Amino acid sequence: MIVDVNAYLGHFAFRRLRHNTAAALLALMDSKKIDKAVVSSASAITYRNAQAGNEEVAAEVRGHRDRLIPFAVINPFYAGWQDDLRICHEEFGMAGLRLYPKWHNYSLSSPCCRELVNAATERGLVISIPIRVEDNRERSWLLDIPDVPLEEIVELVKACPKARFILLNGIGYVACLLGRKDNGLPSNYAIELSRLSAVLANEIGQLITNLGAERVMFGTGMPFNYPDPALLKLEVLDASEPDKEKIRWQNAATWLRL
Amino acid sequence: MTIPQTTSSPPAPQPRVSRRTFLKGSAAVAIGAAALPSARGAAVEQPASGTPSGPFRKGRVIDCHAHLSHRSRATWEADDRRLIEAADKLGIDQLCCSTLTPRWPATADGFRECNQWTADGMRRFPGRVLGYCYVNPGYGREALEEIRRCVEERRFVGIKLYNEYTCTEPVVFPIVELAIELGVPILHHAAHSHYFVEDQPRMSDGGHLAELARRYPEAMLICAHISGGGDWEWTIKALRNAPSVLLDTSGSVTDEGTVEMAAAVVGVDRLVFGCDSSMTAGVGKIRGANLSTQDKEKILGENMMRLLRRRKP
Repeated sequence: MIVDVNAYLGHFAFRRLRHNTAAALLALMDSKKIDKAVVSSASAITYRNAQAGNEEVAAEVRGHRDRLIPFAVINPFYAGWQDDLRICHEEFGMAGLRLYPKWHNYSLSSPCCRELVNAATERGLVISIPIRVEDNRERSWLLDIPDVPLEEIVELVKACPKARFILLNGIGYVACLLGRKDNGLPSNYAIELSRLSAVLANEIGQLITNLGAERVMFGTGMPFNYPDPALLKLEVLDASEPDKEKIRWQNAATWLRL
Repeated sequence: MTIPQTTSSPPAPQPRVSRRTFLKGSAAVAIGAAALPSARGAAVEQPASGTPSGPFRKGRVIDCHAHLSHRSRATWEADDRRLIEAADKLGIDQLCCSTLTPRWPATADGFRECNQWTADGMRRFPGRVLGYCYVNPGYGREALEEIRRCVEERRFVGIKLYNEYTCTEPVVFPIVELAIELGVPILHHAAHSHYFVEDQPRMSDGGHLAELARRYPEAMLICAHISGGGDWEWTIKALRNAPSVLLDTSGSVTDEGTVEMAAAVVGVDRLVFGCDSSMTAGVGKIRGANLSTQDKEKILGENMMRLLRRRKP
């Protein structure tokens, strides 16, 4: 079994995505033997009203809920986010959130964001934060969106110990507090591996050593990314098979109550 | 500078991705010693100098863009060994390596020292490491002498140019002319971003390489790291009408569709596989590309072999 905690549906404003409908993504998953995937709206990253993207995802995954697990994109500075959160959870059955503080131009430490995190936590929702959407060097001339600094994540996980975070599309955790052993931080965050190395510096191996295999999750970033590099990391990773099983699906299944 | 004597030897074979799954892709790949294809054994053979059909035979996987570690890093020897171990795991038979100075522009002493270390890497990992001679074209005669020494005496397979000059600047032309004379490729650092890259003001892009190719159509130019060079769609389109320029697939970016678009626009015969130290990204994007096995074979090694066979005796 493989569960991908980092997948998307819909369009991205700056590049054509393929495999971005439910049917096409499922076909891609079948070809790669990925059983389930957490999906959110790629369109909502740049829609002003992110809820429109959530509605599109909710419609797309209908009939595929056994394999596609929808997450909501919520902007806590946009009017009506409380209603959007309620609708996404109660009506659409979404299991978590994805936050884009840099794309939506807010701070993770802002009271509005903390209010959203607390509201999601009360609902038992998992909160995922993509550290980046695309490589900054290929950005459009229209914008310059930085990666989310890992130091800001440190403050968030400390401030919201009851929340559960999955950090996506990140790298360099072992060089900051988040990836260090005995770091004094709550163990309320897991790290997805799509950009982490499995050879050379082997950051995945270091995270397993420092935090435990329970804190690492499989993800691909598809259809932004080819899923194969992430799958390949698991193949060549020097780790025990029980640890690989945790990473492949067991950790995600526990967190998402699959 | 004296090269420290090393006692390193090629590492023992590691479990690795089999050639079949490398090409076709499978999440359920079984890796282990049983998966070792015969290519691995051949890969560690000492290259037969000047016999093009010897070391560069069909079926070989060649990383056209790799680097050995600069020895100012305390961990350089272990880093180099990890590179070979990673290649073993991923089914990469040979790596075309340069050693770059940690600061640019490189001095003549700096690039000569790097090339000595590359030559040493070729000795430490015989048959696995192929050398690129790195120079700063601004050093004129010294750069040309270094290239000739590396290619003719040390059997380096090509030239690596970085960002000291844009490739269309006249100071680069003698380097290209010497590469043509020797029959070796030039791997040129390149990127195109939609903003000014302040720390690389003379960086080349696909458009510059296309312009250079128009001036020197017989040159073998490789545009570096499409997946680490900014807007890859721009780069692919800029190179559409530059048939002598090859495109290296290396880089950390794993954007879905990159390899397929490159194949569709410039053709698979102009794509060469590389990692540039992003090992699983490099291999994974070829595995994931929706191309035929035959096309992947070309990208993984055949196209690079075609270039290397053009070396002049």
